[in-house]
Amino acid sequence: MEENAHIVSAFDKELAHIQDQISQMGEHAAAVLQTALKAVKNRDPVLAQQAIDMDKVLDDFELEIEEKATQIIALRQPMALDLRVLISAIKIATTLERIGDLGKNIARRALVLSDGKKLKVTSSIEQMGRATRLQLKAIMAAHQTRDADLAVEIWENDVDIDEMYNTIFREVVTYMMEDSRKISAGSQLLFIAKNLERIGDHTTHISEMIYYVVHGKPLGDDRPKGEPLGLDEE
Amino acid sequence: MNKMTTKNVDVFYGKNHAIKDVSIDILDKTVTAFIGPSGCGKSTFLRCLNRMNDTISICRITGDLLMDGEDIYAKSVDPVQLRARVGMVFQKPNPFPKSIYDNVAYGPKIHGLVDSKSDLDEVVEKSLKRAAIWGEVKDRLNESGTSLSGGQQQRLCIARAIATAPEVLLMDEPASALDPIATAQIEELIDELRHSYSVVIVTHSMQQAARVSQKTAFFHMGDMVEYGDTSAIFTNPVDQRTQDYITGRFG
Repeated sequence: MEENAHIVSAFDKELAHIQDQISQMGEHAAAVLQTALKAVKNRDPVLAQQAIDMDKVLDDFELEIEEKATQIIALRQPMALDLRVLISAIKIATTLERIGDLGKNIARRALVLSDGKKLKVTSSIEQMGRATRLQLKAIMAAHQTRDADLAVEIWENDVDIDEMYNTIFREVVTYMMEDSRKISAGSQLLFIAKNLERIGDHTTHISEMIYYVVHGKPLGDDRPKGEPLGLDEE
Repeated sequence: MNKMTTKNVDVFYGKNHAIKDVSIDILDKTVTAFIGPSGCGKSTFLRCLNRMNDTISICRITGDLLMDGEDIYAKSVDPVQLRARVGMVFQKPNPFPKSIYDNVAYGPKIHGLVDSKSDLDEVVEKSLKRAAIWGEVKDRLNESGTSLSGGQQQRLCIARAIATAPEVLLMDEPASALDPIATAQIEELIDELRHSYSVVIVTHSMQQAARVSQKTAFFHMGDMVEYGDTSAIFTNPVDQRTQDYITGRFG
């Protein structure tokens, strides 16, 4: 449904402000991820530390969005679309904060990796990192324009990231078997890949929120998912 | 189960087409809320349900209005008897300038619903209890109804309305002149009354409609735009006009 302006114009401003905060937070989460991935690629401890520090801002964003949304709910008693926008704003803020935490975790592992030698598998990680980051950027664009179709498309595409994770998992395990000195670095890379896969999942959660805002009903739970590897291995 | 049904009801005040082709089922033992901006026709439509519009000479009603499948506008129906079955509570508390006891006893007496003084005492006590005001007035039943506070007066009016054991209770903005505590008491009471009656409430407070009703009908410029489960109307309405109204976007 299209939106007309509220009779109380301050309400429109407050809602717009929340939307804007979410957009900024999304950009910041993407920046944390980008910095952390660069640190992994370049084995750069300074960049890694920078990504870790950047994550703190996301906590502030989350708190502020939660506070603002709660205040609007208390003061304006929003209904229907407005209520959905606010409830999903709180949920999206929490999700972005978690994405930031996963990005920070990647940066921490980049710190550990920075004094070791480069593993061949890094390029696959880079590719997966790029895909994950683009998904995140795309979902934030869908959020801004309230584009439920785009959100569903992103939701469906997460299966690609799941597949990338499986490929990397196999690759890294192979390297570790070939050369036991690579086990330490290899396991860091496995965690990085797992973090990226989790970021992909969180992105689909934002898809679900956008769908809910637009259509007022849940998107459902039958998202195409990659078969998880590493659970059924002997 | 349907208690009342209207089919293609139109209401005219002279040349003014106040209600346009409204068909709705009012369910038994359910609270139905009519919402909509001022002048949308919701009170007019409510007043059709117990023929309160009969007293307005320029008012003309077409279409079918049925209670338990029977036409309430049939020649054989006595509007006074009908109003004993379809009670009404108004926006402003309007107790009779009589004692608290007589306010409640009046209906059962004129409709001949009781045989003895002790029966009448019982009906009065039961009605005041159901209206959640017994504890506050039981020691002053002979005092004037108008000596009570606004919230108490409104509950007295509800006691008066239910004293004739109606099947449907119509409430036109029953809490709009009350403070938040008295409002909460009325809402609690509506929820309790729902177990015995079909309640139809007109309200300007959307939060109140959302809290007390199970079904909601949205009126706009004489049309019934949308009717459905209250939970759906207030979270995900189908019509753009409903959405605009409940989110405060109507100009």
